[in-house]
Amino acid sequence: MAVKKRSDLSSTYKFKTWRDITPMNTSAGTMLYNKTGSWRTIKPVFEDKTPACQNACPAGNDIEGWIKLLQQGEYEKAYWHLKREEPFPSILGRVCFRFCEEACNRIPLDDCVSISALERFIGDRGTSSVPHPDLPEYNGKSMAVVGSGPAGMSAAYFCRLLGFKVAIFEKLHVMGGILRVGIPEYRLPREIIAAEFEGLAAMGIELRPGTAIGKDISLEELTGRYDYIFLATGAHGSRKLNMDGEDESRRIMSGLEMLKKVALGEEVEFGRKVAVIGGGNTAIDVARTALRMGSSVTVIYRRSENEMPANPEEVREAREEGVEFRFLAAPERFELNDDGSIRRLVCCEMELGLADESGRKRPVKKDGALFDVETDSILTAIGEVSVLDYLKGIAGTEKDVVAVDDTLMVNTGGNGKIFAGGDIIDIPRTVVNAVASGKKAAIAIDCDYRGADFGDVLKEISIGNGSALSFSRYMNWNPETPQNIHLVVDSEKMVYDYFDKAPRVMQKTGDAETRKNSFNAYRETFTEDDAQQEASRCMHCGRCIECDNCLIFCPDMSVLPKGDGHFGYEFDYDYCKGCGICFTECPRHAITMVSEEEGDK
Amino acid sequence: MRQLLKGNYAVAEGARLCRVKVVSAYPITPQTTIVERLSEMCASGELDAKFIKVESEHSAMATLVGASSAGVRAFTATSSNGLLLMHEVLHWVAGARLPIVMTNVNRAVSGGWNIWADQTDSISQRDTGWLQIYCESSQEVLDSVIMAYRLAEKILMPVMLTYDAFFLSHTTEVVDVPDIELVDAFLPPYRPEYKIDIDNPRMFGGLISPDHFYEHRYTVHRASLEALEYYPEVCREFRDIFGREYDITEEYRTDDAEVIVVTAGTITSVVRITVDRMREAGSKVGLMKLRMFRPVPVDRWRNILGNVAKVVVIDRNLSPGLGGVFANEVQSALYPLENRPSIYPVVAGLGGRDVTPADIEGIINHALSSDDPAGVPLFWGLKQ
Amino acid sequence: MERTTQRMIEIPRDVMTGEELWQPGGLSCQGCGASLALKLALKGLGRRTVVVMPACCMAVIVGPYPYSASQVPVLHVPFETAAAGASGVRAALDIRGEEDVVVMAWAGDGGTFDIGLQALSGAAERNDDILYVCYDNEAYMNTGIQRSGATPAGAWTTTTPGEAVKEEPKKDIEKIMLSHGIPYMATASVAYPADIYTKFKKIRSIKGTKFIHILSPCPPGWQIDSADSIKVSRMATQSKVFPIYEVENGKYTINVYPEKEVTVKEYMKTQGRFRYITDDAINAAQKWTDRRWEELTGMVDGGIPA
Repeated sequence: MAVKKRSDLSSTYKFKTWRDITPMNTSAGTMLYNKTGSWRTIKPVFEDKTPACQNACPAGNDIEGWIKLLQQGEYEKAYWHLKREEPFPSILGRVCFRFCEEACNRIPLDDCVSISALERFIGDRGTSSVPHPDLPEYNGKSMAVVGSGPAGMSAAYFCRLLGFKVAIFEKLHVMGGILRVGIPEYRLPREIIAAEFEGLAAMGIELRPGTAIGKDISLEELTGRYDYIFLATGAHGSRKLNMDGEDESRRIMSGLEMLKKVALGEEVEFGRKVAVIGGGNTAIDVARTALRMGSSVTVIYRRSENEMPANPEEVREAREEGVEFRFLAAPERFELNDDGSIRRLVCCEMELGLADESGRKRPVKKDGALFDVETDSILTAIGEVSVLDYLKGIAGTEKDVVAVDDTLMVNTGGNGKIFAGGDIIDIPRTVVNAVASGKKAAIAIDCDYRGADFGDVLKEISIGNGSALSFSRYMNWNPETPQNIHLVVDSEKMVYDYFDKAPRVMQKTGDAETRKNSFNAYRETFTEDDAQQEASRCMHCGRCIECDNCLIFCPDMSVLPKGDGHFGYEFDYDYCKGCGICFTECPRHAITMVSEEEGDK
Repeated sequence: MRQLLKGNYAVAEGARLCRVKVVSAYPITPQTTIVERLSEMCASGELDAKFIKVESEHSAMATLVGASSAGVRAFTATSSNGLLLMHEVLHWVAGARLPIVMTNVNRAVSGGWNIWADQTDSISQRDTGWLQIYCESSQEVLDSVIMAYRLAEKILMPVMLTYDAFFLSHTTEVVDVPDIELVDAFLPPYRPEYKIDIDNPRMFGGLISPDHFYEHRYTVHRASLEALEYYPEVCREFRDIFGREYDITEEYRTDDAEVIVVTAGTITSVVRITVDRMREAGSKVGLMKLRMFRPVPVDRWRNILGNVAKVVVIDRNLSPGLGGVFANEVQSALYPLENRPSIYPVVAGLGGRDVTPADIEGIINHALSSDDPAGVPLFWGLKQ
Repeated sequence: MERTTQRMIEIPRDVMTGEELWQPGGLSCQGCGASLALKLALKGLGRRTVVVMPACCMAVIVGPYPYSASQVPVLHVPFETAAAGASGVRAALDIRGEEDVVVMAWAGDGGTFDIGLQALSGAAERNDDILYVCYDNEAYMNTGIQRSGATPAGAWTTTTPGEAVKEEPKKDIEKIMLSHGIPYMATASVAYPADIYTKFKKIRSIKGTKFIHILSPCPPGWQIDSADSIKVSRMATQSKVFPIYEVENGKYTINVYPEKEVTVKEYMKTQGRFRYITDDAINAAQKWTDRRWEELTGMVDGGIPA
């Protein structure tokens, strides 16, 4: 503190004889000599903690951090801050599962913050072609990424930030993996994806489209040429219905296959009355794509709407656009004509029985409840599988995932340093999980290169109580304020008495009539006004914003602003009695009470 | 200027002449006409002061704690039960060393409701630390108010002036009311060193621990004793300006006395007349007027009373279970002397019972004729 | 600071970090509402203030001779004489030409509701130009938690021990003061600091007797965790047990409308001092609270906002 310590200003009155007694029983000094801090058994400390949103994000996106910068009008700073943990805001801001919004502490008050929309705002404003401010010199080691989907993009990005020379190999002639060929244009325009790859290239990452592993180049060659390999070939195969005739008709196709052909501009043949089998996001993507291609579509799902894994917003929009849904129904058999066209699709009604391992009720056939569905085209979307033929003889695969250890390294019996991530390892199949795995692999690779113990590192950089890792902490890009990223602030810890309700701002969305006739994106990025208004709803959980509550409520005047342009406050431990009022009245739990001994460390 | 004034009005004149700034008082017989007169003076502007018309005597003295601590000259008047109601605050004022001057009309204290002359009220406050001066005439009361402020503001102790109910408060005498300019010359404005001051913020009256309290009380005691040195100076200066002389005590015809009567209040005047009468008849009697009661003028009393054979102390007060208090204190003061007079304690005149010259003569003769009384009080005039 | 939907406490930063008239080092318990109340009051009043203090917790908190935690003058007075002492200081300061200096009597509930009521009534009747603040911790806390006229019905104290809780309801000091016709009467609570600041700033321009009744939580006396001091006080207002309002020359204004529903039972359950209260008594307390709130809102001109 620049100001002279208050206890230095005190004095005690020297008293020896009755002659020293002040006349008229008046005071002759202050009480500052009395350091009431000695009464404490617990003391407060300022510690920024992990908000529930960041804790829920598999990538550990420091949402509060960039929202704060957004509010200050520092859009570019917000962009680079965001990219320290989650490199592709324009993409995730459009297609993310949004674990953060589900966990947002604002929900008990009114509604979550539109985090994803704000991320998109920042992403769209950001200029990925501008040189990355944190770009280091090369460290002399190289890394090859196999697969240009989100996992590969992420691993490449973070490895480059760690100084590795990176090349991304992609089988197709276009980069982006599932983003480019699995997610329809109206959800994620291809210009957005292209811009991100421009950014990666601008960082010095080599892009190798049209190069398939096992065909154009072998895995052995790669391990010979590069110090580290990251496999991220994704899950582009489809689960089969395993019904007779499935492979015998041009009109029975996997939904993913259909989406890829559409995305690549290839010819794809399907009918006017499409039946989509499945209930996940792929099924919806397929249905809405078919609709836009001019067909009428019915989605057939074996459970009820409540159990659908698809995003409810997508289901709603699909319905608005005219997609029909038939729940509690599953295909029973196909009847094909000689030319392969579909004569009949027979389905069976289902009912919900006991729950399975996922917690959802198992669908059970209703005896004899068969019915026909009029269709000339069947698209299956009952689950993705990864195709791992190229790993035959090199590593073990069980079902459709490759086994990795805690550092995401593949056991190859000593054949090079191969890591894996994204949909080919056993993690939830979302874009953000893939991005997180890329980050984790990059850190594991760097630990291997430096000879550091990954387990020790994990302890330092684990965010909250989930699986997310903080790249910033790994790089020691730490803020001035003290941090305790292991503590999570959930809604129980927030003091809602200090917050006013405010309606949630949503992005402008086109109406169904306009939407269904084109592949153009139909949702607009926030305007600056909307972004600022929505960002003001962020409660900054776990992070001090200098609201002054502690300063105002301290009965012992022991909270003082740091001053001199420094952010935040400090406690005057000479006098703080450890009452805990600051802790209780901090609206966002930015203060921690620690035992007196612990605090001294 | 010489006027015909009742005792209470003389007090009011005294307060006016001292330019008191805050008066806070509650009416009680026989003090009421002081309060009324001061209200008139404030209303007419004759006295430039704030008169806070409080709702009890306890608040009256408490209000002056505030006013005096804030550095202005403060005054009040009361009597008997009102004085007792202030009791807690009297201790506080003395401990706080506030130079407040109060006139107390000596009136009997209830249980047993009596509104007439009796000194038990002020006597029962003798441990509060207030200086006490007992007055005999209206002139003396007026003059004593003026001298009291000089004394109080010098040694920083409160001063109580007492005089008898009705005998003085409501009877008219010729009183010389001095010019205010003369009083201004004698009594400068009150400029305390320590007071409530925004520019020099202090706390007054905080909790005193056992480490300091003993010494604090000692300073209060010493301040009280300072009066014994300083008050005679004040009296001399007063004489020089106003021509009337007062002292800690007054001796009247004591030089060759065989009996000295010690008393205070209006009984003193009666004794004075009786002494003259008895002297004419050949008795060697004298009078010591007990004026300053607190601090106890031990040395003075010893000088005056030490060499006489018999001392009669007349108490217009009674401490049940003890007797008259003046007698007790005089005995106590004389005890260390090698040659001690015989003390004849007499209680008389309680509750306004008249004490006549005949009574005094009877009392003196009783002392002259009897031997060692063994300190047992004589209840003169008690209906038996 | 960035714009948020947080209900900011509107006391300017430079006021909070400005002159420290109430200093640390005082002897208050952890979480003391009285210490916080005085801190906030002095922020509103400024340095041209004199505090007159009778026997109460604050008289000890402010420190022993010869020290003082206050940077404005403080005068200790006998227990029952806060208002009288203040009247005397007021008279003297006016004579000295310092009419702008606020004279504030700062007394506890004991020195106001009970033993000090006479002097307070006298000063109010005379409409002496003083500010009288009663910081109310609802018992004689300084002497060790004995019951006072301000103790609410159902509360444990050392003189209403065990199940023999206090039966009589809290004395309505606000109505008592209003019956004197004083120009300003207000309640306040340490859970609403900006309101305290505003009221004490406003005081300077009002002549006559002003009375402010501040709810001041006492962790040992109310048997709550010191960290919950403010939260419990907030619930007192949210449950309408302690409404925050002001009456200026007869005009009523409610300053805080509770943002959410809190029952009297929920409020009482936070405090150990109510652990002996029966359900019947809680229901009675709820009815009493509801009735008083209805009465209060009925006094507001033009009704209460929707």
